[in-house]
Amino acid sequence: MSKNVLLYAAILIFGLVAPFVFPAFKVQLSILCVLIVLATTWNIQGGEMGYNTFGNILFYGLGMYLCASVQVGMFFPLAEWTESGGEKTFVHTPTQFFQGMAAGLVVAAVVPTIVAGLIGYAILGLRGHYFAICTLGLGVAAGEISGGIEIIGAGQGFTTPPFPNVGGLEARGEFFYFLSFGALVLTFIAVRAIYSTRFRLILNAIRDNEDKAEAMGIETMKYKIIGWMVSAFFCGLAGGIMGGLVGYIDSTDVAFDGREMGVFMVLMAILGGKGTLWGPVIGATVFHIFKEGFWTFFLGWQYVALGVLIVVIVIYFPEGIMGWLREKYPERFGEVVDEADRKAQVELK
Amino acid sequence: MKINKIILSFISAVAILLSTSVVSFAKVVGDKIVLGAAISLTGKYSSNGVHTQNGYNMAVDRINSMGGVKVGGKTYKFEIIYYDDESNPKRAAQLAERLISQDGVEFMLGPYSSGLTKAIAPVTEKYGVPMVEANGASRSLFTKGYKYLFAVLAPANLYLDVAIRTAVELNGGKGVRIAQAFEQDAFSQDVRLGILDAAKETGSEIIIDDKLPKELNDMAATLVKVKQMKPDVLVVSGHTKGALTAIRQIAEMKVDVPMLAMTHCDAAKLSKQHGKNSQYALCASQWHKTLTYKDNFFKDGMTYAADFQKEFGYDPPYQSAESSAALLVFKDAFERANSFDQKKVRDALAATNMQTFYGNIKFAPGGQNVDKPMVLFQVMCDGAGKCENKVVAPLKWASAKLIHPIPKWSDR
Repeated sequence: MSKNVLLYAAILIFGLVAPFVFPAFKVQLSILCVLIVLATTWNIQGGEMGYNTFGNILFYGLGMYLCASVQVGMFFPLAEWTESGGEKTFVHTPTQFFQGMAAGLVVAAVVPTIVAGLIGYAILGLRGHYFAICTLGLGVAAGEISGGIEIIGAGQGFTTPPFPNVGGLEARGEFFYFLSFGALVLTFIAVRAIYSTRFRLILNAIRDNEDKAEAMGIETMKYKIIGWMVSAFFCGLAGGIMGGLVGYIDSTDVAFDGREMGVFMVLMAILGGKGTLWGPVIGATVFHIFKEGFWTFFLGWQYVALGVLIVVIVIYFPEGIMGWLREKYPERFGEVVDEADRKAQVELK
Repeated sequence: MKINKIILSFISAVAILLSTSVVSFAKVVGDKIVLGAAISLTGKYSSNGVHTQNGYNMAVDRINSMGGVKVGGKTYKFEIIYYDDESNPKRAAQLAERLISQDGVEFMLGPYSSGLTKAIAPVTEKYGVPMVEANGASRSLFTKGYKYLFAVLAPANLYLDVAIRTAVELNGGKGVRIAQAFEQDAFSQDVRLGILDAAKETGSEIIIDDKLPKELNDMAATLVKVKQMKPDVLVVSGHTKGALTAIRQIAEMKVDVPMLAMTHCDAAKLSKQHGKNSQYALCASQWHKTLTYKDNFFKDGMTYAADFQKEFGYDPPYQSAESSAALLVFKDAFERANSFDQKKVRDALAATNMQTFYGNIKFAPGGQNVDKPMVLFQVMCDGAGKCENKVVAPLKWASAKLIHPIPKWSDR
């Protein structure tokens, strides 16, 4: 345990000083935090529960729109704000900005959770590919619908309130960095706590054999819904932060960005190793570094390079980085390998 | 618990990577003025992104070869750092941040499209980085009170305003029946608002008001309605894809409509790609090569078009011309400011009042160019099937007379 404390302290310190040591990378680090949150929460479904969802982007986008809408709507008429022809210029005072952001983030986290409960009740009865396809539709539908709602800007997009004039140039970056880092810490603590309870075992049971789990008296539906609600809570929060960070919300390209974010969260979890606590964290970090690198050095070809990376991962690291490490160094993961027994098993087959 | 060690070493690796990759360019290195630009090299705006990039490059080469920029008695050359924003606003905002905070860029050129400009403007504004943009026309960009944003183009709501007014005029001053279909993006929706305003003022009626998806390749549903309801004017806007889709399906479905008004015809190379099918289409444009504006670098529109053709192998769409103009504006502002101080350059930009081959440029307090009207051209074909864009409005530059109404498909 003492070593654990050391590790967490090191990460925490790194997280706290990073924006000051690497001031130029604040935005990238903030985005990294958001990516880790998304990958970690996706892992609850995709990794632990065995339900490959493409629908988590729904909660992310919902959180983004909600946070910005609340932040504006608390102080100004939302319709006038988003109406592109509006000749008025609204300016949030610093107090208004932060109050609005705080209230917005609460709404951004809570409402998607409720939505997840409702949708989950309706569709978590589906299994396997059917569930995946169904959730794929959710994100696409949400993008198209939100692109038609005038009050949130429809196709025009929604410019989130600009950061107020306090604390110099770096203030905005630092604010959003610590916000996203806070969300990351919160998510990690929550997920880690959840994974140490029986809840994780139930999710694993659902993944391994849902019928058996049910036969053993587990109300699988209840746990599946709760699991999804947990994901939705943090996805919504991450979305709210990201909306403020990007500063401009577009229905299909920023909020319900199933084609990028929606796929990336799956990729990152798989890259790191799904079904592990650290896998998504490592996966997201590696992915982000590679992606940024490709963008700089393979201009115009970055997606080709990324595609090659994905192919390599799937072929050589099908279990992700954590899975690969675990296979290579099982003893480091606290597993005892009985060589004789292992051989005996192999020979039996 | 050795796994901790792995993770710890992983974190330190990340930290080392971050600290070693801080490469800092200064805004002015030696005799270079470094400008930053996020351009859509991939994604749905990639063709227009390339037009934009070609326009920038063309002007950089020209200005550099003609003596560069003179500031404080020293001559500087332009250089541009490009990134690919993938036609994605989120990415564009990130890249703007990166250009400014990592690459140390202090002056920016705009991206392609209103949506991406909307995403970048808050960032440049925050850092006080002057940005001259040539491809973000959405009116909402100019009502936000941005101080460091300057657009060389006319705002989007004016794009097809002229078309509606012309239609009303040809209708004897009575209102017309308008059918319209717009892509769901910032630019096209703004064009729509412009039409709504024009319709209101002229007493016209909007009988079809459709939205087109962003991945635009089918608008048959709208065209079926158009066939049924027979409007006087059909307005379509959806960047390059919108123009191509509209022409393709109108020809396929033989939709008869007296006036067809669109945007992005020249960027889509309509007259080349669809030949006679695109005949009579009326297109809003920021610029046309036959306009008579002049400057010292590109001489005039015809010379620019010829040079551009030689360099890149195609006729320059207005997206390229306006992008080239952005560089001319920057050069002019640097020389008048006679400094690289961002505030001074910003003030110099605000005071811009010049003529370029692309048009007159003078910025309103909101940042939009108020000194350059839109032009309308019509695709016209000769007997041999060779099609050309001819300016038909405003009359001052008209090189051909508007053909109205469009002949029925059965008579073509």
